[in-house]
Amino acid sequence: MLFESISMSVIKKDKFNIMLSHALQEHSEPVPADFTDRMSRRIREAEEQKVLARVVMQERLALAGCIVLGIMIVFSVAFFPSVVANFKELVETSIRQATQTINTIQYGLYLYAVFTGIFGFAVYGFVDLLVGDRWR
Amino acid sequence: MSGDVRKKQNKRWLEELLAGDHEAFARFVDKYKEMVFLCCRTMGIRDYEIEDVASETFMAAYKGIRRYRGQAELSTWLWTITYRKGIDYLRKSGRENQLFVEQDEKLAERRNVQVSAELENKEQADIVWEAVGRLPKLWAMATVLFYREEKKVKEIAKIMRVSQNTVKTYLFRSRKRLQELLADVV
Repeated sequence: MLFESISMSVIKKDKFNIMLSHALQEHSEPVPADFTDRMSRRIREAEEQKVLARVVMQERLALAGCIVLGIMIVFSVAFFPSVVANFKELVETSIRQATQTINTIQYGLYLYAVFTGIFGFAVYGFVDLLVGDRWR
Repeated sequence: MSGDVRKKQNKRWLEELLAGDHEAFARFVDKYKEMVFLCCRTMGIRDYEIEDVASETFMAAYKGIRRYRGQAELSTWLWTITYRKGIDYLRKSGRENQLFVEQDEKLAERRNVQVSAELENKEQADIVWEAVGRLPKLWAMATVLFYREEKKVKEIAKIMRVSQNTVKTYLFRSRKRLQELLADVV
C-alpha cells in the first residue's frame, strides 16, 4: 500500500484500512468531566496574575523613579552647587521668558490649548499610575 | 441548522477566540479536549500525567491563539502544539526512547485473549486500539492521525516535524505490524 496522495477514498477501497479506520474512530477517550471548568479557571487566574504583575511593575518603576530623582537632587546639591544655581537661574529665566512670550502672543488660544493638553496629560498619567488598575 | 448559519457561527466563534474571549476559549477546550488527551495517550504519557500535559497544551494554545493565522486547520494547529508538549514532557522525564520501541510483553497477553474471544464491534475497536498502543509511539501517532483524524500525509508531517517520506514509512510499517497483530481479529 502506497501512502502517496492518500485520501479517504483510497482508504475505503481496502478492507483492512476500513476496519482500522472504523475501529479507531469508534474509540472514545475518557476526559475528566470538570476539565473545561478547571482549565477556564486556570486561564482566568493566569490573566489576573498578568494584570497584577503589570501593576506591581508600574509601582516599582514609579518608586524607583522617585528614589533616583531624589538621589540625583541630593547629589547635585552636594557636589555641583554651581550647576544647581545655574539650573535655578535657567528655570527662572525660562519662566520669565515664557511669561513674556505669553504676553507677546496676547493670551493666544493656541498656547492655552497646548498647556492645557500638557497639564491634562500629566494629571492623567499621575492618576493612571495611582489608580489606573481599578478603572481597567 | 443550515450550513450557512453554522458557518457564520463558526466564523464568529473563531473571531472571538482570536480576540482572547474567555467563553470562546472554554468552548474551544470543550471541543478539543478529547483530541488532546488522545494525543497524549498515543504518545505513551501515563494516565496520571496526561492532565498536566493537556493543561500545559491548552495554556500554550491560549497564549498563542492570537498568532493563529488560519493557514492550517485549527485541529491540526492544536495537534502540533500537543505533540510538541508531549515530546518535551517525555524528554524531561527521560522517556523519549519509548517513541521508537514496541511493547512486546503485553502483546503476548493480549493475543491469548484474542484467540478465545468472540468479538463484537466495540470489542474489536478496543483490540485494535490496544494493538495500536503497542506500536512504537511515532508509528501509533501517524496511524491515529491518518486513520482516525483523517489527516493528510502532508499535515501529519507538519505536526510530527518529519518529512512526508518518513510519515509514509511509519504508516507502511505500522499497517504491516497491525496486520500481524490483528491477524486473529480480522
